[in-house]
Amino acid sequence: MIEQYTITTTPKYNFPQPTIDTTLPQRFVEQSIHSLKQVKPSAFQLNQQTFQQFRIFEQHPSHLQLNRTPITLKPNHQETIIAAVDTSTIKIGETSTGIIIAIRGATVWKRKRNYRYTRLGPFIFHITEENKREVYNTLEKAYFNTYYASSHQASPTLLQMPTRLACILERWLQTMLAKTVSQGLILFDGSLTSGTPDTPAQRMKEILSIARKNSNTVLAFSKMTSLRVNGYLITDQLPNHEPPYLLETTGLRFKPPIVMLGDIYVARLNKANYAFRLDIDRETPLQHRMEALEKLLGNDLYMQGYPETLRLAHILCTFTANEVLAMQHFITRKHGIQMINRPDMHKLLFGPFGKGEIYS
Amino acid sequence: MKLYKKEGNILQILSFPTESAEKGDYLLVEDAEAGKALIAQVIDVQFASIPGVLEELLRTLPDGGEPIQGEDIDPLEIAPHITYIQDASLLICKIRATLQNEMLSPSSSWLPSRSLSNIKKLSIPMLMKLAKVEGKLPIILGGTKDSSLLTIDASSLDGRLNIITGKKETGKSHLSKLLMVSLIGYKATVVIFDLNGEYSSLGMTADGKRNMYYDKIHALTPAQNFKVALEQLHLNVVMGILIHALHLPGVSAREFRRTWKSLKEKGKLTLHELGEAIRDLKCNQHVRDALSSRYHALVNSGFFTDNLAEATLLEERLLKSKEQGGAIVINLRNTSTIDRQIVVEYVLGKLVDALTSWKLKAVFLFAEEAHLYLRETYWDDIVTRMRHFGIFTTFITNQPDTIRESIYRQADNIFLFNFTNEHDLDVVSRASRVDAETVRSIARDLPPHHCLTLGKVVRDFPIVTRVRALDLKTMGETRLFFKDIN
Repeated sequence: MIEQYTITTTPKYNFPQPTIDTTLPQRFVEQSIHSLKQVKPSAFQLNQQTFQQFRIFEQHPSHLQLNRTPITLKPNHQETIIAAVDTSTIKIGETSTGIIIAIRGATVWKRKRNYRYTRLGPFIFHITEENKREVYNTLEKAYFNTYYASSHQASPTLLQMPTRLACILERWLQTMLAKTVSQGLILFDGSLTSGTPDTPAQRMKEILSIARKNSNTVLAFSKMTSLRVNGYLITDQLPNHEPPYLLETTGLRFKPPIVMLGDIYVARLNKANYAFRLDIDRETPLQHRMEALEKLLGNDLYMQGYPETLRLAHILCTFTANEVLAMQHFITRKHGIQMINRPDMHKLLFGPFGKGEIYS
Repeated sequence: MKLYKKEGNILQILSFPTESAEKGDYLLVEDAEAGKALIAQVIDVQFASIPGVLEELLRTLPDGGEPIQGEDIDPLEIAPHITYIQDASLLICKIRATLQNEMLSPSSSWLPSRSLSNIKKLSIPMLMKLAKVEGKLPIILGGTKDSSLLTIDASSLDGRLNIITGKKETGKSHLSKLLMVSLIGYKATVVIFDLNGEYSSLGMTADGKRNMYYDKIHALTPAQNFKVALEQLHLNVVMGILIHALHLPGVSAREFRRTWKSLKEKGKLTLHELGEAIRDLKCNQHVRDALSSRYHALVNSGFFTDNLAEATLLEERLLKSKEQGGAIVINLRNTSTIDRQIVVEYVLGKLVDALTSWKLKAVFLFAEEAHLYLRETYWDDIVTRMRHFGIFTTFITNQPDTIRESIYRQADNIFLFNFTNEHDLDVVSRASRVDAETVRSIARDLPPHHCLTLGKVVRDFPIVTRVRALDLKTMGETRLFFKDIN
């Protein structure tokens, strides 16, 4: 049983909608403080190469086909709410027993030509072999009603923890958007492929279902894809056609437990020579899909063919070097952890040929 | 504060928002293990180069320049730490001295520990105490930023060459008046070339009452209460006027000398007789014309008289000042350029005479905008030869390029007010007692009435001071057309 801390809920982190369950962010705060208090005042090593983790998950399926006949899109300027969500995680240091990570999520929505955002975090965790299961399960249980938690999968490794915790926060934020937005477009970062340890299929199905109930359409944009047809990336096989348009793919199958909850398209939304993999909720009727994309075209801005709302969500949750310094400062000041800078063994051994540790 | 870098005699110190340090402040970088400390002055304050700041700023303005509206839910309250890091500043400091065993040395050749050094602000009184800027003849210049008073010793102006410079309306004349009355207070003899008639009423308070200096200020206005009889003049002084102020050629000068001596032998050295003698002179027509034109220039100046009763004995005034201290203000306000030069030549000649014959011990000469009346050759004369006679000059100007570079190089003290013009700063930074970075960086940001004091008076520790107010009738105000309308 986790020791419960009394966290005074200030208006700062009371969510405006009374219908929203705020248990998860409160558990994030509790677990964050709890894990940091477990660090004995000792030296902690700065990362020689701080890294930001963004999840890239794709497998190589078979039988994928790309229909190179473009589906032409016409911007529809009917006022529509566009909302997007993204999360980011970063390792900010190491202790003798584990790692110190930070997680932050951001939601951005565009309404009447104005963008607004809500940023949640950063939450800082000290993750060790001893507490990783407890932290992970507590957070899983907090929002996902213990139904999925702990039973169906092995505990993540220490290096997987940042991504897993960020995924929990991201799914929660996606659920909140699905619940609070109606008749809007909800943009996810990544794909709608689920059944992975990060994204259990049932959880994603529920999010999509809630979104549909509120007449929302979920569009998931992947910045990068490894899906190939005839050896070429699907986003590189663009026809000579005036954008905006979509290219449809068919025949994509994954082995269980991986399931695809969306149909995959290649979207080229403006004249910039960039196209993105786009997953659209499979349960959404074809007509609605095209309408949703046309509303997106008519309501949002595009930089290099990528929706501005989603770009802002990404920008706002990304940690800058300045913030990493600030979090290191916070850890030192609030928790008395002295920072040391151990020599980088790669640099030490190989001099200019040492490129530092490479994280995967 | 943390020591970040040392390059030559420049220190870079990382300072956090809770530690306020501004340009001009002094810092003590103590290395307890080495038993030494560096005294450094902040000459510039910059943002510390924090990685990621650009991204941080950019993401607040992603929407076509309009700040994006939103809410940050930051339960761990990291935001103040971000601001704290982001607002960190880098203090660029100039090493002024090393402190060891309470002794100062100008060395900056050692390196204090970066991790163990303790950096703290050094108050001006403490600095002055360490530098032993104290004496028996204190002159309070004004207040420093840490609310202490900057007191210099009057003896540090003795035998020195001083420059007061800054752009218009920054308070140069005010400081020169302060120095002047302070010197008079210590019974010094002061002569002022008052170009704008500002110093004549220094014996009065701002509300028109007599003050303690009333009997010590002697204002002399050429052609009014300041006239001289030829009889009182030494030939050398007259020759100086003719050659340097009136540009009399050599041949004519020889002829004049002969005429002068002849009149003096006859006891007929008056303006009238001199005019007659020149008219009757049997010599080359050009020489006679040259002498005649100079003679009329002397007459037209109104400065010379044959009436001994109205002639002023400058020497007497100087000797009177010698006893109790006093200032002879030569009011050059309504005097033409030629007449000004005549008067200045006369006064300087008389001063040299009085000093050479030890009638006077020394004189503090205050010269405002000296380029308007001082002949070319006098500049070097004043700072080299005349200094040895006992004329200690303070130049006051708002055009620093009118003072020769050689003067800056020999200046002992510089009182520098605000300058924004790069060219002006370039000129001043040629002074040997100052480094160009300090002048450029600090002088540019000085508010009005604030002065950067450099040189021997502050033992080469440049200090910014707000010059204290004086209850004197200054008369230095500019006449305004719209004054009454507004």
